[in-house]
Amino acid sequence: MAQQAALDPKTFETFRNWRVNRTKYAKEWQERTGGKIIGYFCTYVPEELLYAANILPVRVLGTHEVQDVTEPHIFAMFCPFCRDCLAQGLKGRFDYLDGLVIAQSCLHIRQAFTSWQKHIPLDYSYYLPMPHHVQSPHATPFLTKELETFRQSLETWLGRKIDDDKIDEAIDVYNRNRELLWKVYELRKQVSPPLTGEEAMEMVISSQMVDKRDHNAALETLLGQLAKRDSDRSAGTRLMILGSEDDDIEFLRMVESCDATFVVDDHCTGTRYFWNNVERNGNALSSIAERYVKRVPCPTKDWPKRSRVDHVLALAKEYDVLGAIIMQQKFCDPHELDNPAITKALNAAGIKTLFLEFDVTVPIGQFKVRVEAFLEMLAEDDLF
Amino acid sequence: MSDKMEDAGVGTKACAEEFWRWKEYRHHDESIDWRDAQIVSAGIDIGSVSSQAVILVDSKLFAFSNQRTGFDSPESANKAINWAMEGTGMTLDDIHYTVGTGYGRVNVPFAQKAITEIACHARGGNLMYGPTVRTILDMGGQDCKAIRCDQRGKVEAFLMNDKCAAGTGRGMEVFADLLSVPIQDVGELSLSVEQEPDPVSSTCVVFAKSEASALLREGWPKNKVLAAYCAAMAHRVVTLLERIEVEKDFAITGGIGKNAGVVKRIEMELGLTALQTRYDSQIAGALGAALFANALEGKRRKS
Repeated sequence: MAQQAALDPKTFETFRNWRVNRTKYAKEWQERTGGKIIGYFCTYVPEELLYAANILPVRVLGTHEVQDVTEPHIFAMFCPFCRDCLAQGLKGRFDYLDGLVIAQSCLHIRQAFTSWQKHIPLDYSYYLPMPHHVQSPHATPFLTKELETFRQSLETWLGRKIDDDKIDEAIDVYNRNRELLWKVYELRKQVSPPLTGEEAMEMVISSQMVDKRDHNAALETLLGQLAKRDSDRSAGTRLMILGSEDDDIEFLRMVESCDATFVVDDHCTGTRYFWNNVERNGNALSSIAERYVKRVPCPTKDWPKRSRVDHVLALAKEYDVLGAIIMQQKFCDPHELDNPAITKALNAAGIKTLFLEFDVTVPIGQFKVRVEAFLEMLAEDDLF
Repeated sequence: MSDKMEDAGVGTKACAEEFWRWKEYRHHDESIDWRDAQIVSAGIDIGSVSSQAVILVDSKLFAFSNQRTGFDSPESANKAINWAMEGTGMTLDDIHYTVGTGYGRVNVPFAQKAITEIACHARGGNLMYGPTVRTILDMGGQDCKAIRCDQRGKVEAFLMNDKCAAGTGRGMEVFADLLSVPIQDVGELSLSVEQEPDPVSSTCVVFAKSEASALLREGWPKNKVLAAYCAAMAHRVVTLLERIEVEKDFAITGGIGKNAGVVKRIEMELGLTALQTRYDSQIAGALGAALFANALEGKRRKS
């Protein structure tokens, strides 16, 4: 099927180039601004605070290459994503970082962080005790205090104060980014969405590694282009993809070459990253804290009530999906806990699911049979 | 010198016997005159180990062939269909619609469409075992699928083994060779034990083979070693079936479906009897593909 022909591949080039040439971008940004660069694990790191201090927060992600450097440091039954991330550090691919920050989410990624701290020279590193029990009324005041401590730590390292109005400005820039991403996602509700799931993934992932002001400008341009983008491409089967961290562009491309389109996702490299804005409550740090406490949760934090199940169901309905691919990084315990509940809820709502376990590299051939069989299962009965 | 040569000769002969090599075969129904047919359809299943061609005449089974897959999928497809047509007077031009399936499904040069083996096994199984079949276990050469389907043979859910080919036909071939037991005799021989032994560790064909070698050295007879392996394979696939939740009726397709040693042990673990069929369990995929081809040709003519 020549369905891609209708979409101009240049539209998302800026985002793709940012992702592929992330090191080049970061180094040029540093030369241009004189700011510092901090790598972060996990999207619970309150980037607003870093950005207010003229720091570029860049998310540490893997590269999906087979590697042999992490075996001495991380147990083999920890998830492939945390090993892939640590491998990047050990191979010197983030040697431009001035510092490293993690917010508590799961033990696997924390092991990657502590191992990095131990083996790779860093000017600055910080562990932010993001509370697990985000459903507790004490979570926001707790995190607010932790953010105050984090702010002081950054100020000590930088040797200067972080101004309140800079924090305010950072909130604006970040909220703007979320609103723009959200607007692009709105377009995916159309019968023929003007972008593919692969393109949406390029867009969100690139936002995790470039200056949000640059990203916002690119998104403004993109929205103009998408309004005019020829959307003759037939969506085929409308799918959702959800689960743990996922930046497997190759997998999305394979699925979307089988007469299907991902129209929405629930990933921390997708909607979970940008779905919620900072709502101002009169105190900047408390507003930021509230945002991270109340955001669409990672399954490490979604208890005793499983609020994400309802959220996923609502997305599936709003975006009119016929089926959902539930993926998880191999050995990801938090998602293993959530997936049965999510599967059950989606199936009860008439949305069929296909479960796949991802590794650093995925077996595209084996997965293709399953994806095609899944799409055949969802198809109307023209074979019977 | 001559003794040595003779020894070498015996050794070569023993190797050449290739106990894993199952018999290739073909069949056609001489009572059917395909020249009177409205629709002649074909299904070609290019699997990892074996390839089948099925030809239907007005949705009745007319001819089929079953042989080993070569390294060249298009060539395997040509050989399979030519062998099925052999002696029938039929040529490729007489077939109205062909569907390719199996891992080589996109490499069938004369097919109009490719459909996954998962859909095809459900559809083929529906004809072979009747519309009451709800759970189909396809035990192929290098993979294993548990499929749930409706009364029409449409897939409702499925699971595949991943990362490991334990519990597949290729593993059984390795054991036939190791024990010098012709592959078609493995099942019955494994059932001739007086008492069921503990299964070998079932995680990996290669490790299972090392374990079996150790058992042979301990003096275990062949039938007991085979029983231990068949039991391990049965347990392996039952865990897959449990994940998809078996619903009655239950049937087994694929080459292992012919191995009573595995089938009986699966039945015992599940507490269920697998349905019987007069069809060859190995043609289920190609049969399903040919049934889809028949339906697609019918729709094409109406439109």
